[in-house]
Amino acid sequence: MATRSIRLIERLVLCAAVLAVAVLPAQARAALGEPAASASRDADELHGAIKSTQRSSYRVHEIRLPSGTILREFSTLDGPVFAVAWNGPAMPNLRQALGRYFDDYVRAAESNHGRRHFQMQNDRFVMQSSGRMRAFSGRAFLPGAIPAGVTVDELQ
Amino acid sequence: MSGWRAFGAWALVSLGLAGCGGGSSGTPAAPVTPPVAAAANVVDVHVDAGPDPVNHPTINTLYTTVTVCVPGNAAQCQRIDHIQVDTQSYGLRLLAPVLTLSLPVSKATDGNSLVECTQFADGYSWGPVATADIQIAGEMAAAVPIQLIGSANFSTVPAACSSAGPAENTVAAFGANGILGIGAFVQDCPGCDINSGAYYSCTPTACSPIVATLNSQVANPVAFFAGDNNGVIITLPAVAAAGAATVSGSLIFGVDTQADNASGAQTVLTLNSGADFTTAFNGQTLTRSFIDSGSNGIYFNDSAIPACPNQAVFYCPPGNLMFTATLTGQNGTSTTQSFVVANARSLQNANPSFTALPGVAGTFVASSTSFDWGLPFFFGRRVATVISGDATSAGQGPYVAF
Repeated sequence: MATRSIRLIERLVLCAAVLAVAVLPAQARAALGEPAASASRDADELHGAIKSTQRSSYRVHEIRLPSGTILREFSTLDGPVFAVAWNGPAMPNLRQALGRYFDDYVRAAESNHGRRHFQMQNDRFVMQSSGRMRAFSGRAFLPGAIPAGVTVDELQ
Repeated sequence: MSGWRAFGAWALVSLGLAGCGGGSSGTPAAPVTPPVAAAANVVDVHVDAGPDPVNHPTINTLYTTVTVCVPGNAAQCQRIDHIQVDTQSYGLRLLAPVLTLSLPVSKATDGNSLVECTQFADGYSWGPVATADIQIAGEMAAAVPIQLIGSANFSTVPAACSSAGPAENTVAAFGANGILGIGAFVQDCPGCDINSGAYYSCTPTACSPIVATLNSQVANPVAFFAGDNNGVIITLPAVAAAGAATVSGSLIFGVDTQADNASGAQTVLTLNSGADFTTAFNGQTLTRSFIDSGSNGIYFNDSAIPACPNQAVFYCPPGNLMFTATLTGQNGTSTTQSFVVANARSLQNANPSFTALPGVAGTFVASSTSFDWGLPFFFGRRVATVISGDATSAGQGPYVAF
């Protein structure tokens, strides 16, 4: 109950912030853990169309990939991408989106193969992925870099 | 740890498009219950520890045996066991290292070889499309496009495919000798275009994305049977709460085509183009819900249920939890069903050799709109999956009924 109440408050705050969302000019994107403004890698390399919006304490960079999948990158207002999330008919390019954490994911998945639901975490990185044919969703985030007051549930 | 990898490491997965396991084509473990089936449209299915029970035992993974033949040549056939039965994919995929036959590789529209990238939640499988005659029980599907995963002749994988994660191109990595996708649709990528990343045209040295025509796509072989081709019924016995070492049941082809596959009074839930219906659970309306013999548990989100320590994809409540949920088809038909969530780790520890565990459930990560009714849903039920556009006495596919 306590947890849910806290989440409710957080959501109310978030909703207020979202009401004031500003659609910002497309910015350079980068992979998980990289500065948001440091490189124009992801959108360009993924050939996606970007839309960036600001929420209370972070920005969401939404990339519509040619496959139809939506890739969202979450960055702090002044710093790094702390989460990525995806939803759509195909997996995104995770090598690009996860950046330096891609190898962590690959090692974990190799040691524990599955197909439909996957979850891993180590001391710096969490990866959650679900998928069946033509329907994939997932997220990866850096627990230590998520801004205060932001819940994992909103990272999707 | 015991051999239960699914519970034995901190990176946890569920078994979707395949189970876990390894080794080569062998003899399935003897089922505890004798097969019910003898009819031409019925094949035995079983839950066991998989093709490599010592090194890679599986849980809640349903297998059958298929025979593939060189098209038009009934003298060149191979029987392959431990093919996972999957109602949420489309088409037969075989691990190429298991195959001793030489099957003709399909051509893309540009004349080069047609190769497919099949993605999963945690990786990909890569391999050419080939055609085969497929025999299951007394049914035969002629010249069906199938995928040969991990073919040595197509070892160069485009970066766009391998960027999904690790390769699952060997029996050990894929966890089965193959997978039989018998969901409610026929082709595996009907809406795909050049950007979908599914099919490639490959020369010996390079691959580029291509659109595969519908007829060339890997396809649900049931639709290619001469009869009994409008869907399937899976029947499995009820399993005790503690689980069972193995379970044996039947995969019946056709619905309302024979005496053994009559619809009866089943509840029919029609599906949308994503094979989804709606589940109402715990105040949530989950519009992307599905019944999936290829998932090894019931997967849904309930933050009140503790996750297993260091194994967060599975639930580990202190005791068994009983829930109900209401499933509603696109046709508006509803049914309320109950299910149990047990402590996955306790189940495993109590009977390490059990492979059928009805209480295994876990988190449907990163989706707030989905409910995955995996293999435990099938225990004690008779579940029909009817193919899109096909009619039965109970309705028109795509639908599921039970």
